[in-house]
Amino acid sequence: MQELVAIASLGSVYLLFALGLSTAWGTIGILNFAHGAIFVSAAYGCYELLEVRQLPVLVLAVVAVLIGAAMSLLMQVLVFDQVRRRASSERAAETRILIGGIGVAMLPIALASHQTKNLAFGLSASGFEASVWTIGGVRVSSVQVATVVCAVGAAAALAWYLRRTRAGLALRSLGVDDQVAALMGIDRRRYAWATMAVAGGLAGLAGVLLTLNLGAISAESGDALLIKAFACVVLGGVGSTLGVVVGCFTLAASEVWVLTQTSGMWVEAVSFGIIFAVLLLRPQGIFGRQEVRRV
Amino acid sequence: MSAFYASNLVLVQATLVAILLALSIQVPLRLGVFSLAGVGSYGIGAYVSANLVLREEMGAVPTMLVSGLVAAAVGLVLGVVIYRLAGLYLAMATIAFDLTVGVVALNGGEWTGGPVGLFGVFADLTMGLLFGTVVLVLVLVHLTEVGRLARRITTVREDPELAASMGVNVRAYRLTAFVVSGFLGGLAGCLNTLTRSAVGLQDVSFHLVVVALTTIIVGGALSWRGAVIGAVLFTWLPSVLEVVGEWQEFVYGLIVVLAAIFLPTGLYGLWCSARRRVVERFRPPVRPRRPDEPDVPAATVAPEHEVAAR
Repeated sequence: MQELVAIASLGSVYLLFALGLSTAWGTIGILNFAHGAIFVSAAYGCYELLEVRQLPVLVLAVVAVLIGAAMSLLMQVLVFDQVRRRASSERAAETRILIGGIGVAMLPIALASHQTKNLAFGLSASGFEASVWTIGGVRVSSVQVATVVCAVGAAAALAWYLRRTRAGLALRSLGVDDQVAALMGIDRRRYAWATMAVAGGLAGLAGVLLTLNLGAISAESGDALLIKAFACVVLGGVGSTLGVVVGCFTLAASEVWVLTQTSGMWVEAVSFGIIFAVLLLRPQGIFGRQEVRRV
Repeated sequence: MSAFYASNLVLVQATLVAILLALSIQVPLRLGVFSLAGVGSYGIGAYVSANLVLREEMGAVPTMLVSGLVAAAVGLVLGVVIYRLAGLYLAMATIAFDLTVGVVALNGGEWTGGPVGLFGVFADLTMGLLFGTVVLVLVLVHLTEVGRLARRITTVREDPELAASMGVNVRAYRLTAFVVSGFLGGLAGCLNTLTRSAVGLQDVSFHLVVVALTTIIVGGALSWRGAVIGAVLFTWLPSVLEVVGEWQEFVYGLIVVLAAIFLPTGLYGLWCSARRRVVERFRPPVRPRRPDEPDVPAATVAPEHEVAAR
């Protein structure tokens, strides 16, 4: 039973992080390699803020969302938009957005590792103590409950928005064919900005929640999380919200299982194995649609 | 000169290794295969060579060959498995491969030395051999950048469907990219181990992917000259710019971003287009001349003037 709690909270962190990544990739075609850097920076920003002034946890979460959204938006405007405008073809743009993302991720990470001297940092200065409840022998902390509620809520809201609203339809149509979408009067730039801001905000929230949950994180933890989120997205299918949810909890369950069954540090390899297996057996993912491409 | 060489021997060695590592990413990229598996091959080469020297006491040349071939074989298997993937999927799958090699190295027990790594790997590697190897590789790569083979490679990259319709076996080319990338990466890893006589987890990290990508993006992705420019630049930059010091990562990130936005063809591409512009300027201008001007080559005369001249 304790494992189930671990799976739920770990999977929820993955979910908060992967939702934005998946939506941006599935709709506006941007796989943001700096997503992990946003996650870390939001947590780090809160840490620095706490040095200056005492703040309640709820305010910190809002600050993290704002930091994440602002960073993500800045990246979109200053880097990805510029690359797209200058690139000769869609394929060239894709490659250079990936490379630009790797580069832009190095900036805040370098800053954070320099300031923290590569040590892990936490949010204990907020004086926040998670309350722990024991229900039938299973320990559950308030942070874990908050993580699960936030993640499931965000996923449900996003799914509703994409499926049920007009704007969501417009966003999805960008993912199918952005030229035709432009002909239908959809302003790609505006949707891209909004998508990236939401994606960054979710990553920021994930950063603070994971930091509260673990006690401390290091500046480098973003890279590992990025690969894991990629595994979740690929497993579920790019662009499918339900797919990401299933992918995240499957990965979390596999990792917790490997952690309890094996010794050593093989747990990191689980996500790589999933990436390989999915790309080989079912490249479109569990809930993905087969891409139709004309020569 | 020789004093300079002696005092910077480590940097020279690092530059040569960096060139090979950059090539292991660049060669597949030139074939349109966005594979970053070269870094994983680098790790394989690094650990295999350490084991060969420590356990079998092999010499430098056989160690280089075996490490390269082992990494190439792994590259072939990987290629067979994932060559159908394209774009970002391929990039991420190969990054997963690189990191898997890292996890194996961490858990490899006495074969890899775990988190500590392996030390005392001494073999009879001379600077001459190191230079010779890199030059040989560069010559071979250069041969793929001229003539018919170069045109085929360009077509496979720019338009695989067109290449297939012209009778080019695209699948074979793409698989070859994985094998060559594996060999070059393995060779680079082996040479790195032999020059530094040690191997550790830093030789299979994600950081190396960044380094290799940076090298070719800034130098230029479509020619070995770009790899050389990038390798020299990024190996020597920290020692030249003392100021950068602890902000090295930050500066590198900034360079990568700027290169991704403004330099799609890298420094070498910039140099090529600049040279082309200069050549254009000094070429005698092609302009219509008056009919009474002497020595008018017929081809350069606009038709209506030609008629008027008659």
